Amino acid sequence: MPDGRIAVAGLTKQYKTVRAVDGLSFEVEPGRVTGFLGPNGAGKTTTLRMLLNLVRPTAGTATIGGLRYADLPDPVRTVGAVLEASAAHKGRSARNHLRVICRAAGLPDRRADEALDMVGLSTAANRKFKGYSLGMKQRLGIAAAMIGDPRVLILDEPANGLDPEGIRWMRQLLQALAAEGRTVLVSSHLLSEMEILADDVIILAAGRLITQGPVDTVLGSMGGAGRTRVRTPDPAALTAALGEGAKVTTDVDGDLWVTGPDAVAVGEAAHRAGVVLHQLTTERPDLEEVFLELTKGKADIR
Amino acid sequence: MTAPTTSRRSPLGLVSAEVLKIRTTNVWWLFGISMVAVTLLALGLNMLITHYQLSPPLDQMSEESRMQMEAEAAAARSTAGLIKITANLMTSGQYLGLLFALILGALVVTNEYFHQTATATFLTTPHRTAVIVAKFVAAGLFGALFWLVATVINLVVTPIYLSSEGVAVHLTDWPVIQSVLLSLLAFVMWTIFGLGLGTLIRSQIGTIIVGIVVYLVSDILLNILAPLLHNWIEKDWVLGLPVIAPATASTIMITPGRAFEHAPPQWAGLLVMIGYVVILGGLGILLTRRRDIS
Repeated sequence: MPDGRIAVAGLTKQYKTVRAVDGLSFEVEPGRVTGFLGPNGAGKTTTLRMLLNLVRPTAGTATIGGLRYADLPDPVRTVGAVLEASAAHKGRSARNHLRVICRAAGLPDRRADEALDMVGLSTAANRKFKGYSLGMKQRLGIAAAMIGDPRVLILDEPANGLDPEGIRWMRQLLQALAAEGRTVLVSSHLLSEMEILADDVIILAAGRLITQGPVDTVLGSMGGAGRTRVRTPDPAALTAALGEGAKVTTDVDGDLWVTGPDAVAVGEAAHRAGVVLHQLTTERPDLEEVFLELTKGKADIR
Repeated sequence: MTAPTTSRRSPLGLVSAEVLKIRTTNVWWLFGISMVAVTLLALGLNMLITHYQLSPPLDQMSEESRMQMEAEAAAARSTAGLIKITANLMTSGQYLGLLFALILGALVVTNEYFHQTATATFLTTPHRTAVIVAKFVAAGLFGALFWLVATVINLVVTPIYLSSEGVAVHLTDWPVIQSVLLSLLAFVMWTIFGLGLGTLIRSQIGTIIVGIVVYLVSDILLNILAPLLHNWIEKDWVLGLPVIAPATASTIMITPGRAFEHAPPQWAGLLVMIGYVVILGGLGILLTRRRDIS
């Protein structure tokens, strides 16, 4: 049984005029949720589809547990995927849609019902797919992905169409699955959601890797030290107390933004100068800022 | 979540999945019912024509045409004539039935693109050749089912009708059995034809239109063109040229003896059909293997 490590090396996809993916390399570790981020057209979906043997790479390799998807002895029990275009025949019920997968994968029919139960679709099991809401379709996609109890999950924009409750359900599910030691690779453009959900991120733009690593490391890499936000009734005294080493700006609310000394140093300087502080906070850039900074100028429509 | 029992992935499971796909949509039983209607209609028409062949209305006819009609009736009542009539009655409904088989085959593959289920299908089974072969088998089974519907109806009605005409019933003569069995082969072949066409075109409506045009129009067109061409090249084989139209080829393949004057022999029709099935089926596998699914 292969382990769940995903390895992509030198992966390239050249369409007629567009190089959708360009020499992309990264690894995805088991036991963690990895966010796969990039602007529209960055090549996220193409990469995931190459990983799953749906799109043929021009060059490079993409393996799961050391094997190409097509070479996996039992793909349904190894990898579960929810892709954007996953759909069912409009006239077919959810249960029958999943039973078709069971038959082809050699799983017992009861797995269809168990998977529907898991995503909370049991009561709609016999309803035809055309009557499903976007959120229900997304849940059915997850049921299909989980049908073989796979150790690797690959999801392309799974939050699309989910309501806030559904998004939370998805987050808890994916984090629980990663905690069980499974590999979870999830693409999304909901950066605030990814900041809560992901342990690692892979950021790409224009088909190329921009950065990869744990979320905290990627966030910390931006702009060196974080900034400190201070609210005080006596800004002039505090600025004088901080001295030459600090860069201080004032925002519209009258708060000071200090770059250079951290919150501890600012607090101590205020204490020594006898300046009253009403608020003292370390502000680190969020994923959205980092993402926009990193992909600036690389997200042109190609 | 409970771990599933060990999976037993097998070619048979793949066929079972494809059969389930067909069974869980409306198409197959709609075609099944249409098959009953078409068979009854064709059988009625064939019985009417046969009745006039066997017993032409001879009064109010000139002496000359009466003698000709009597000779034709006598030929129809000969053993060879009755065998041909029986084979024709026993394969009633297949002209449109084969078109249903073609469309069913086309739907089996174009549905995957129309409903965007190709992704799920090839995720479940990345071995695309195996998927297409399973589709051939599953669609072929339903083609055979259509044949069975028509054959059961024909088998009940034909002997009753022939007895009522007071002629010998040649149901068990080899040419008749052969004809019925070749008709089964034709149903299977036309589903594969439709499937191959579907992988080539992918658009559902496009495939069905092209399929109908190929089935109906190429047949008619070549039967008009061949005699015209015969004026230029005065060889008998030119008149047999319509065999390259697939619908004509399958008619020639099924009909005992010659399907029409100067028609090539049955094996020529069979060869042409095998050619189409191999080319379209092979193209279907090849294209599906190479194609990006997005």
